[in-house]
Amino acid sequence: MSMTGPLPGGPGAENPHEPGDDFAVTELSAQAVRLPLWRRKPLLIVGAVILAAYVVLAIVGPFVVDDPRATDPANFLQSPSADNLFGTDKFGRDVFARAVHATRLDISVGLIIAVSAMILGSVIGVVSGYFGGWVDETLMRFTDIILAFPGFVLALVLVAAIGNSTLNVTIAVTVAYIPYFIRLTRAQVLAERELEYVDGARLAGNGPWRIAFRHVMPNSLGPSFVQATLVAGWAILTVAGLAFLGVGIRPPTAEWGVMVAEGAPDIITGQWWTALFPGGMIVLAAMAFQFIGDELGAEEFV
Amino acid sequence: MSLLDVTGLTVGIRHSPLDILRDVEFSVERGEVVGLVGESGSGKTMASLAIMGLLPPGIELRSGSVRIDGTEYVDQESGRVRRTAGQMTMIFQHPRAALNPTMRVGRQISRVLELNQDLHRGAAREEAIGMLARVGIPGAARVARAFPHQLSGGMCQRVMIAMALACKPEVLIADEPTTALDVTIQAQIFDLINELVDETGTGVLFITHDLGAIAEMCDRVTVLYGGQVMEQGSLRALFTEPRHPYTRFLFEAVEREVDLRVEERGVNFALTGCRFGHRCPSAHPACVEFPPLVEVGPDHRSACFLHAEAATGGVVDGSA
Amino acid sequence: MLRYLGKRLLVSVATVLGIVIVVFFIVRVLPGDAALVRAGPYATEEKVEEIREAYGFSDPILVQFRDYMGSILRGDLGTSIRTNGSVTEELLERLPASLELAFYAVLLAALIGIPIGIVAAARKGTWVDAGARVFAVLGSSMALFWLGLLLLYFLFYRLRWFPGPIDRLAIGTEPPGTITGFYTIDAALRGQFGVMIEAFHYLALPVLTLGLVLAAPILKMVRASMIDALESEHVRTARAVGVPGRQVLFRDGFRNALLPVTTAIGIVFGYMLGGNIIVEFLFAWPGVGRYAYSAIQVNDLEALQGFVIMVGVLYLTLNVVIDVVYAWIDPRIRLGKKVQA
Repeated sequence: MSMTGPLPGGPGAENPHEPGDDFAVTELSAQAVRLPLWRRKPLLIVGAVILAAYVVLAIVGPFVVDDPRATDPANFLQSPSADNLFGTDKFGRDVFARAVHATRLDISVGLIIAVSAMILGSVIGVVSGYFGGWVDETLMRFTDIILAFPGFVLALVLVAAIGNSTLNVTIAVTVAYIPYFIRLTRAQVLAERELEYVDGARLAGNGPWRIAFRHVMPNSLGPSFVQATLVAGWAILTVAGLAFLGVGIRPPTAEWGVMVAEGAPDIITGQWWTALFPGGMIVLAAMAFQFIGDELGAEEFV
Repeated sequence: MSLLDVTGLTVGIRHSPLDILRDVEFSVERGEVVGLVGESGSGKTMASLAIMGLLPPGIELRSGSVRIDGTEYVDQESGRVRRTAGQMTMIFQHPRAALNPTMRVGRQISRVLELNQDLHRGAAREEAIGMLARVGIPGAARVARAFPHQLSGGMCQRVMIAMALACKPEVLIADEPTTALDVTIQAQIFDLINELVDETGTGVLFITHDLGAIAEMCDRVTVLYGGQVMEQGSLRALFTEPRHPYTRFLFEAVEREVDLRVEERGVNFALTGCRFGHRCPSAHPACVEFPPLVEVGPDHRSACFLHAEAATGGVVDGSA
Repeated sequence: MLRYLGKRLLVSVATVLGIVIVVFFIVRVLPGDAALVRAGPYATEEKVEEIREAYGFSDPILVQFRDYMGSILRGDLGTSIRTNGSVTEELLERLPASLELAFYAVLLAALIGIPIGIVAAARKGTWVDAGARVFAVLGSSMALFWLGLLLLYFLFYRLRWFPGPIDRLAIGTEPPGTITGFYTIDAALRGQFGVMIEAFHYLALPVLTLGLVLAAPILKMVRASMIDALESEHVRTARAVGVPGRQVLFRDGFRNALLPVTTAIGIVFGYMLGGNIIVEFLFAWPGVGRYAYSAIQVNDLEALQGFVIMVGVLYLTLNVVIDVVYAWIDPRIRLGKKVQA
């Protein structure tokens, strides 16, 4: 569940600070001995490793484990064992098999949402930032409004309105995250368009649309790529959360959130493995994305 | 015994072999103003932060000795400097940024008084107003209740001076106190500092890149480049007979009105030899070693192999 | 300062208007046939027609919007399909439960997040700081429903320290008469200390779930602004004139970091209002979040719509309040610039 979102702009703190002698220090730090990557940013490596494991699991896993839909009523609610690594659920299905299949679904959906939101948001951000004027004003107001809702609630309402197939859920959550990318890209574009190469391109006779998309946009995407890693994690949490409430992807599809929802009543009677294992996978995936995004410098509060 | 005696000051970046300051030494006597001059990036601010024990995180004191009135303040084991504001304090270059924006100016001074003079609140408040008046602020009582953002740069600098004085320090370090201010205000601040030195016998370490200010204010000077002492001595000696190639270069630059604040990116901090070597017109093979400070006249020392060799009678290529 | 606040208020009102429009659009225009969505998959043709008439779905969009705005302004958020009751009333009934939960959760989050954030900043780069940051990442990646279930499993099922998810009080217990709507406060005010303790008991797990997760953004914000403050020039000056370490930390560091931290707490509270749907559902808490959940289950879009608008409005009101507090704390805004003689 992402607790993320924009900080309303407070009046900025003044920073009349000039570098002065401190300049020398930054210079020196740049010259300083380069520690190897794993020393400087250990969490990045950890996150990447975990993510890689998930990807491998997503690609290879489903071929190796049992059928996630195979029920075995005689064997219901067995605690974890050598046969069933994560135990069985109330229908006797192997929780591990389901979790592995869910990995494929959740990771793909998370990545698709992050990438789609990034692409759409960036395009809009470029248009807004480069062309300015009333287009920019309107788009910004609109973005502010969308950001006034917690992302989860917005996705919730959208899914309630358009239905909860997997596709619809993906669309709804994507829409909820587009504004972050609009803002990020726009900020970059505003800085980029003052640079000389833009003047150069204009003098060379390029039309504004061409300049905006062919020249400025590629240079403005840096922060968005980084942010996308964080958003992928949030997306997984949101999709799972929606599924948990029964509003998102539906059972019997193997999806982590669905599995937690199905397993939740079991907790009260002490069968913890049906809900806690899939839930744990959600959190671990989100953490991996968080590590990566954080270390790459993503904004926590866009 | 000098009031402030700094020797062998070596400061570097943690986890890295690079040294920002190498074997820096200088001293300040009672009632004296000593200048520390150099371009941007020469390490002059870093030196002052080092002896104050205010080095930023990631920068460490590798070796050195800081003695105030004979007492050593560097803890050899931890590399930390322990001193109190009553011995040595500092004023900074950007006065408004240096003051706490959420605290009234008078309170910023009175709390120093409470801490250093053991006054209680009411007395401290009165005294603070008195100090504001003392540093030349009109309407001191009203100004005391103001916040820094409501005052001009010059006023903020005076406030900072008042804060520094509230510590009744033996040594005052002034780091580019007027660089961010108007030329007219500059003169007033200089006068203020001189008055205070005469009155209280405080020693002042005056840090700047401005040779003109040095000429006005200082009794003795140390020239710094690339974190290394180039030349030092009395004002007269340095200004009438600069011996070190770098000092000459500095004077020439002033004559040609080159702005020394332009960042000089040429310093290679990995060099173990003379840091000026790569720009020096008199450079020769010996310069890959670190040059020692040698006497070249009464109260006049220079760190250059030209003079070292002359002192030992070796042959030197012609350059007077 | 008044001018600044005035501007903020205006922007907020405009945003509320925007929210209303967006919600309207989502609920009425998006679904191909709003009446069909409303009626659900099992309705007959007549039922769908009925609904279409009742809600005016066949009227032109602008007329629908005008009617909609009209009723909103009168405070009428529509009628719930599920209960046939007034959405406004039903939301207001349940609001105190959500507010009580939100209040204690944010309190807990602040009690955890702020001290850890301060210590992490003061000891930046050490193991303490690293630990704090790992906790922060954990909190930011946490799935509320998973944490809730985890706590339920250990603290309820295994240890029996806290009750299971039923309600705000045990089944037989009478709630204290309403003064504030907060069971804990009302019970205390009426001297019913047993009830008060029980209310806390039932609050414990949901508050713990939310509080632990919300502590993460607070911790991050406090740490970041403390670091900024501590590395600032004025802190360097304070140290130079001999202000002792602890006083520097609090009066020069934290007091100045307070500004962005206040804003952060505001945001966190804001997210509570929406994000507690999951927690309320999981712990069977009778608040507005649970109401929204029930609404979704039966496609009660009127109720959901009302919920969203209410959340949006509350969130914006909160932001304005935060801005007032912010302006009051920061003398740069409060007093403006008056250059003295």
